[in-house]
Amino acid sequence: MNSHPPKLARKIFEWYCGKAKVEDLLGDLDEWFYLHVQSKSLFRARVLYWKQIFLLMLSYAIKKRKRDAQLGQYSSSGFSVDMLHNYLKVAVRNLYQYKYFSILNAFGLAVGMSVSLLLIALVSYIQTYDTFHTNRDHIYTIVSERTEGVEQLSWAIAPVVLAEKLKQHPDVREVVRIRAGFQEEIRHAQGMIPLRGYYVEPNFLNVFTYAVTKGNAAVALSKPNSVILTESAALKLFNSTEVLGKTLELEQGGLMEITAVMKDHPINSHLKFEVLVSYATLPSSQASMTNQWIYFDFQYLYVLLSETGSEAALQEYLNTVATDTYAQLPIKVKFQTQHLNDITMGPDYRQAIGPKWEASGMIVFAVIAVLILLPACFNYTNISIARALKRAKEIGLRKTMGSEKNQIFFQFITETVVITLISLAGALLIFFLIRPEFQNSLVASSSLDLSLTPRMIFFFLLFAIGTGLVAGIFPALYFGGLNPIQALKNKAHAGSSGMRVRKVLTVFQFALSFGFILSLVVFSRQYQYSLNFNFGFAKENIVDVHLQGVKAELMKAEFSKLASVQSVAMSSELMGLSYSKTWVKNMDKDSAEVSQLFVDRNYLSMFNLTLLAGNNFPDETWQRERFIIVNEEFLKHYKIETPVEAIGRTYQVEGNELEVLGVVKNFHFASLRYPIDKFFFRMNPERFAYAHLKVNSGDAYSMFTEFENQWKTLNPEQKLLADFFEEELNEGYSSYIVMIKIVGFLGLLAITISLLGMLGMVVYTSETKAKEVSIRKVMGATVYSLALLLSKDYLKLMLWAILFAVPITTTLFYFLLPEIQYYSVSLTPWDVLFSAAILLGLGLTTIASQTYRTAQTNPAETLKGE
Amino acid sequence: MKAYLGEFEELVLLTIATLGEEAYGVSIQQNIETRCNRSISIGALHSTITRLEEKGFLKSWLGGATQERGGRSKRYYEITLAGKKSVTESKSLRDELWSLSKAKLSTIK
Repeated sequence: MNSHPPKLARKIFEWYCGKAKVEDLLGDLDEWFYLHVQSKSLFRARVLYWKQIFLLMLSYAIKKRKRDAQLGQYSSSGFSVDMLHNYLKVAVRNLYQYKYFSILNAFGLAVGMSVSLLLIALVSYIQTYDTFHTNRDHIYTIVSERTEGVEQLSWAIAPVVLAEKLKQHPDVREVVRIRAGFQEEIRHAQGMIPLRGYYVEPNFLNVFTYAVTKGNAAVALSKPNSVILTESAALKLFNSTEVLGKTLELEQGGLMEITAVMKDHPINSHLKFEVLVSYATLPSSQASMTNQWIYFDFQYLYVLLSETGSEAALQEYLNTVATDTYAQLPIKVKFQTQHLNDITMGPDYRQAIGPKWEASGMIVFAVIAVLILLPACFNYTNISIARALKRAKEIGLRKTMGSEKNQIFFQFITETVVITLISLAGALLIFFLIRPEFQNSLVASSSLDLSLTPRMIFFFLLFAIGTGLVAGIFPALYFGGLNPIQALKNKAHAGSSGMRVRKVLTVFQFALSFGFILSLVVFSRQYQYSLNFNFGFAKENIVDVHLQGVKAELMKAEFSKLASVQSVAMSSELMGLSYSKTWVKNMDKDSAEVSQLFVDRNYLSMFNLTLLAGNNFPDETWQRERFIIVNEEFLKHYKIETPVEAIGRTYQVEGNELEVLGVVKNFHFASLRYPIDKFFFRMNPERFAYAHLKVNSGDAYSMFTEFENQWKTLNPEQKLLADFFEEELNEGYSSYIVMIKIVGFLGLLAITISLLGMLGMVVYTSETKAKEVSIRKVMGATVYSLALLLSKDYLKLMLWAILFAVPITTTLFYFLLPEIQYYSVSLTPWDVLFSAAILLGLGLTTIASQTYRTAQTNPAETLKGE
Repeated sequence: MKAYLGEFEELVLLTIATLGEEAYGVSIQQNIETRCNRSISIGALHSTITRLEEKGFLKSWLGGATQERGGRSKRYYEITLAGKKSVTESKSLRDELWSLSKAKLSTIK
C-alpha cells in the first residue's frame, strides 16, 4: 500500500522553514500520519497531514525557530544602550583613523548642508509670522479673483463695500476695513519726515493683538484725523514717546491728532505700519455703488469668525454674494477666504498688503538646496561603499559573533549621523558667513530675523539626522547585507551595478557644475551686454534731478543759468527704467493700452531721439493738452504704413482728443526685459517729476556742489536728489550682479562638492592601485603614463558629463534667456567651450594632484611590505 | 509571581512531567488529548512549548535516529527546576484557595 505522507506538503514546509531545524516536527507529523492511517482512511490521513503542516507554518514555534536559525549563537535582538555606546566608540575611532576621508566627507557635507540651513532658517522663521495675534485661528482675509475680459488675476484686495454683506453672516464677529497707502510727509523742524501706515477701523485693535502703551485704545480711532503712532515713529518725529495729544502736520495740509501710542509690531507681521490712521479720516466715497464694486485698489477686508464659525460656510456665502453682485457688472469677481496663517507664504497675489514670501520662490529655493545637498550625500555614500574593503573584516566578525542585519544597519546609520552632526557645525559656520549677504539680497529682508532660536536649532539637528539617514542608508544596507564568510575572506566588492549608479551620479554632479559655470559665464556676458546696449537714445552727460514739488518752469529758469548746464528738459519718469500706461481709443472706439512719458520740447533733442516725420512739440505756454508724438510700434499697431500718414490723426486719450504731431524712431523706453511696445510722448507740465540737465563733461564734484547751492534757493526743505542718467540706467541692471553673485556662490558650492567627491574616489583608487603602479614603474612605466592610467576613468566621466550637459543647458538657456530679458545675448559655442575648459581645468588639477603623487612614489616603498 | 503560567501551559508542563523520559511531540499531544478529551492542534502545542522554553521552564534535546518515522529523530522535553517551581507555586496557590473556600467544592460531582 502506498501509504506515505504527502510529499508536496513536506516540500512546501521544508521550503518555508528554510534553514530552521524542523526535523523533530516532521518526525512527529510522520508518526501522526501512520497512526491516522491505521484508524482512518488514507485520504483522511493525508488531509490531516496537510492541515497540521499548515497550522505549524502559522505557529509561533516555526517563527521562533526560523528567527533562531538566522542568528549566531550569541545574538541578541534587543536594543541596548551599551551597543549604541559601542557603535559611537567605533564610529569615532574610524573617523579618527581615516582622518583624510573623514575631513573630506565632513567638509563636503557641511558645504552641501549650508544652503539647506538657510532654507530651514527662512521657513522656520516665516512660520512664526503673525503668531502673536491671540485671535489668529479665527482671522481670515478676503482675497479676490478678478476677471476682466479674458484677463483673470488674483488680488489680495477686496472692495470695502463687501463689509456690509459680511456683517450679515451669522458666523462673522468682526469685519475690519483697511485702506493701505497712507504715505505722507510730515512737517518737521528739520524738514519733511515720511510716515507710512494704514487707515483702519477702530475694531482693528480688537481683532489684531497690538500693545497700546499710551492713550485709550477703545476710542483712539473713532474720530477723523486721529492716529496711533508706533513708538519708533514717535521717536523719529518727536524724539520721545510722550506724544499723546500732539498734532502731526501733513505736507499736503491737514492736521492729525495723536490719540494713542503703541509698541512697534513684531517684525514677523504681514501688516507693516508706523502709523494707524482712523478710517473715518478718509472722505466717504463719492463713487457710485457700481464703481465701488469695480474699483477697489488698496482696500482690504479682515474677518474675525466666532469660535464655532466655519470657513466653508463663509466661503459659500461669499460665492453667492459675488454671483449676485457681479451679475450685471462688466467685470466678474470671485471672493475667497484666506486664513491669516496662510497669507505670508501663500499664493502670489497682486497688491499684497505687506511683504510676503511667494510659495513659488520657496519651491525654487528648495529645489536648489536639494540639488546642492544630494550630491554631497551621494559623495558620502560613494566613498563609504568604495571603501567597504576596509570595514569588511570588522563586519564579518560582528556577524559571526551574532550581529543581526539590522544591528549592522543601525551601526552604520549611527556612524553617518555622527559625521553629519560634525558637518552641521561646519555648515553652521558657512551659514553665519553667508547669512548677511543672503538677507541683503532678499527684498523683504527687513521683516526677517535669521538669528538662531531654540526652535531653529531643533530643526537643524533634525535636518542633520535626516541627512545622515539619506547619506547613510545605502552603505548601511550594503554592509548589513554582507555575507560574513566573504567579508572575512576579504572578498567583499561593491557590485558592478553599484559601479554604474556611481558613474551616473558622478556624471550628474559634473553636469550640474557645468551648468552653474555656464550660467555664470552667460549672466556676466548678459550684464555687460545690457550696459553697452544701444538703447536708441543718448545717455551720456545727462544729470537727472528729482523735482520734489519744485515748479518745472522755475527749475528750468534757474538751472539754465548755471555755467555747466547746456540745456534743461523735463519729463515724468526716467526713460529706460519706468513709464506709465494709459488707454487710447481711435475713431472706431477700439481701445488699446499704450505706454507714455510726459516730456517737454527740449527732451527729444537732449536724448538724441530721431523724428521720422512731423514736428517736435511746439514751444507754447501750455493751456490744454493737444499733441502726441508716437513711435513706430504705435504705427504698426494701428496699421499705418508710413510715418507721414500718421501725422494729423487723432486719438482719444483720457477724454481728450490728441493729435499725432510727430513720429519718432523706435527706442527702448522700457527696460530691456520687455520688447518695445506702442508708445507716445505727451506734453503736460503737471506731470513733470524730473529735470534733465545736459552738462559739460568735467569736474562732477564741483558741478554737483553748484547744483546743490542752486537747489537750496528753490527748495530749502529737501535735499537735492540728482544723479547721472547713465549710472541710474546701469543700476537698473544691478539685478544681474545679484544673480551673478547667487549663481557664482551656488556654483562654487556645487563644484566644491563634486571635486571633493572626485578627490575622495581618486585617493581611494590610488591607494588600492598603489601596488600595481609600483610594479608598472619597476617594469619601466613613466610617471606621465602612470598618472594618465589613474586619471583616465575620471577624465572620461567629466567628458561624459559635459556631453550630457551641453544639450540640456543650451536648450534651457535658449528658452530662459529671453524670458529673463527680451533683448538678450544668445549662447555661443565659445561660452560652452570656455565653461568646459574651466570645469576640465579644475577637475584635472584635482585628479592630477593625487595621481601624480602616487605615480611618483618610490616603488620600493610600496613593494617592500610584501 | 514571576512568570504567569497559563492554563494550557500548566497542562503541558504537567503532562511532560508525567511522561518523564518519554516526553516528545506526539506522546505529549496524545496524552493531553486522551486525558482531557479535547483535540489540540499541533501548532498550538508547539507554540506553547516554544514559549515555555523561552521562559526557561522546559529544556529539550534531540534523541537518536528512529525507524518508524523516516529515520527522523525525536525532540525530547524535560521540565527544568524553574518549571518545577512554577507548577509548585501554581499548585500551592490553588491548594490555599481550596482550603479557604467557603463553598463546599469537593462535594460537587
